[in-house]
Amino acid sequence: MATVQVSEAEKVYILHGIRDDLRVDGRGCEDYRHTEIETDVVSNTDGSAKVTLGHTAVLVGIKADLGKPKPMLPKEGYLEFFVDCSANATPEFEGRGGEELGTELSNTLYKVFNNKHSVDLKSLCISPGEHCWVLYVDVLLLQCDGNLYDAISIAIKAALFSTKIPKVHISADEEGAKEIELSDDPYDCMRLNVENVPCIVTLCKVGHRHVVDATLQEKACSVASLIISVTQKGTVTCMRKVGGGSLDPESIFEMTEAGKRVGKALHAPLMDLLQQEERLGTKRQKVGFLG
Amino acid sequence: MPTDTKRVRGPEVSQSPLLFVSKPATALPSHGPRTDGRPRDQVDVRPVFVRCGLVSQAKGSAYIEAGNTKLMSCVYGPRETERKDETDMKCGRLTTDMRFAPFSCPERGSWIQGSQDKDLSLMLHESLQPAVCLHKYPRSQIEVNVMVLENSGSVLAHAVTCASLALADAGIEMYDLVLGCAVRQDGSSYVVDPTYKEENSCSSASSENQGGLTVAFLPSLNQISGLQSDGEMTEETLTAGVRTCIEGCYKIYPVIQQALAKAVRRAAPPPSES
Amino acid sequence: MAGLELLSDQGYRIDGRKATELRKVQARMGVFAQADGSAYLEQGNTKALAVVYGPHEMRGSRSRTLHDRAVINCQYSMATFSTAERKRRPHGDRKSTEMSLHLKQTFEAAVMTQLYPRSQIDIYVKILQSDGGNYSVCVNAATLAVIDAGIPMRDYVCACTVGFVDETPLADLCYAEEGGGVSSLALALLPRGGQIALLQMDARLHQDHLETLMEAAMTACKGVSKVLDEVVRQHLQEVSVLTGE
Repeated sequence: MATVQVSEAEKVYILHGIRDDLRVDGRGCEDYRHTEIETDVVSNTDGSAKVTLGHTAVLVGIKADLGKPKPMLPKEGYLEFFVDCSANATPEFEGRGGEELGTELSNTLYKVFNNKHSVDLKSLCISPGEHCWVLYVDVLLLQCDGNLYDAISIAIKAALFSTKIPKVHISADEEGAKEIELSDDPYDCMRLNVENVPCIVTLCKVGHRHVVDATLQEKACSVASLIISVTQKGTVTCMRKVGGGSLDPESIFEMTEAGKRVGKALHAPLMDLLQQEERLGTKRQKVGFLG
Repeated sequence: MPTDTKRVRGPEVSQSPLLFVSKPATALPSHGPRTDGRPRDQVDVRPVFVRCGLVSQAKGSAYIEAGNTKLMSCVYGPRETERKDETDMKCGRLTTDMRFAPFSCPERGSWIQGSQDKDLSLMLHESLQPAVCLHKYPRSQIEVNVMVLENSGSVLAHAVTCASLALADAGIEMYDLVLGCAVRQDGSSYVVDPTYKEENSCSSASSENQGGLTVAFLPSLNQISGLQSDGEMTEETLTAGVRTCIEGCYKIYPVIQQALAKAVRRAAPPPSES
Repeated sequence: MAGLELLSDQGYRIDGRKATELRKVQARMGVFAQADGSAYLEQGNTKALAVVYGPHEMRGSRSRTLHDRAVINCQYSMATFSTAERKRRPHGDRKSTEMSLHLKQTFEAAVMTQLYPRSQIDIYVKILQSDGGNYSVCVNAATLAVIDAGIPMRDYVCACTVGFVDETPLADLCYAEEGGGVSSLALALLPRGGQIALLQMDARLHQDHLETLMEAAMTACKGVSKVLDEVVRQHLQEVSVLTGE
């Protein structure tokens, strides 16, 4: 991750500010930075979204491919996550430099989606044991300014919302050989239900308090953070401590509670926004990176 | 793509014959005693066997056995850092590497470290780092290796315990031991220190509150150094789960202390009384 | 040409362009705040993002340091979802390593590296969506990014691919045309002096046609340079309004 140098005096300044619920950029402890979301930005994908959170920028592309179901779960499709920490984000990621962070992020994403309700995997099945849809969720980090997890999860939710999987029909001939036919009509497609897709909230412990959506400076002042992924209903699908420090049990309980509250509150405006954009339909002006 | 040319590799695609067995009701009962006779909803960890110093070449080592879960850990160092460009003048580096032996799981694994192993290594690193006095080892590196010999559930939790014991055995200065404990929530009931079967079973009846939780805990400082959960749980369940795990850690604490004391006594026998 | 008719009798191409017509070029400079320079460029459906860091101290091994000029370090990568079929790795394969090298050579010819001895300039380019002419789009995007970073260059570097079909050169090939078995040529030009920064052709072409093809490529590059110039001027105007000068 892009490194920032924070002097002792700066640290004290940030720490004291957070103690009084006032952060360097004027936010309170549970406020997010300005966020922009746009879906459907890459036309080569089945679903895509671009999210900027402060200076952090993430692009997610989803491709649906035909694959074979896993032998243990013949009636379900599956999701594959890949996080590309490109050198565009910071020169440290050049070559293989970003791989470590990439695996860490994608492993967390697998955990976050490791439950039955986040995405209806049964709807991705085409013919049990033989064919299913594999959703490749590819995350591209374009710029890092702290709080990658939250930005990525919002972008994934938005991209899944915009994903259009073509409908397929299976026809069997006399010998029982099955053939898959893709629908010709581009509007004849399946949408995913993203109601239960969780959003990740990262809480950074700074001093005796915790902050949401920490910038790199704030992150440099903290020893440990807690990642909580929360669904609309407030169910926690993944929790994880990251960073080199340790936390005391009481503060973990406090942070879980705060994470749940913030996460729950995040979903409604996000869904509103996505639906609003959807309603515009073809009238929507695509901005992309040109805006 | 790194491939291992030194070993005879199996066919590219093969599946365990267990998949083809007509399934005899795999869903474990969600009430009543567990298959290994331990009661449900109680902090009852499997009896553990621990021993220090089994690998003579390593600076410190430990072996832990809990039920059928068996793993060993070796610690090397402190020594000069391998990557010169990352040498830290003030602080030492802790590296962790956790691997599954190919025969450790019901399904054969690969010798090459997969992404699951990498993830576990990272979790192990984050759980151990707060406990090690790294500032006492400037410009040097401490390596922790964990090998899982048999995976019968709660691997990460026991790996944390085992690795911290090996670190202590190596004489690395630490603030505290790190103990690990896992809980599996299944509907309204929970099981502590779940076995492999319990970890991977899912009773279809109650899919609301289901998931796993692993906690790494520093007992004398009362700090949580590692925390990881997946599945679906409510906040209350999670909080209760964390408390249960802490309690579970305290249960194995005396065993670990005893093993450590025994290792020290053997290494430096007390002067005879007479 | 088998199967696909790349140039109709009326002189139109598959996507309805005339032979010498370029695709629509849209660009924006200063996309990211953290990088020293950045630019986004769309040429038809090919979209690229370029970021420049530096000039800064040499990173990594110091043995690469040059004492009379700056080292240019390029990395080309493609987003895994950029192509019709999903790519497994964003960079590190042979094709993208070659592309990185080409970019490096191009910019070594254009950037005034002798002004920054013992330092390094990083140029990272990412293809977000690929529809032919990846190299030229990358060069055009990177030019804007270098300008945005305020690094002096001899001139804009403009690149364009040109193909040869039915005795006619086609400017700025798209993916369908590239795959159609057309012998194509990529040219990076410093338009003001007419110097060539990079020229690449790996197909069969009769020697007699080479000149016409080069001529067409140069005209196309000059066309691109006009667009880039406009983008830079507009960007500067916007910036100077914001800073109140």
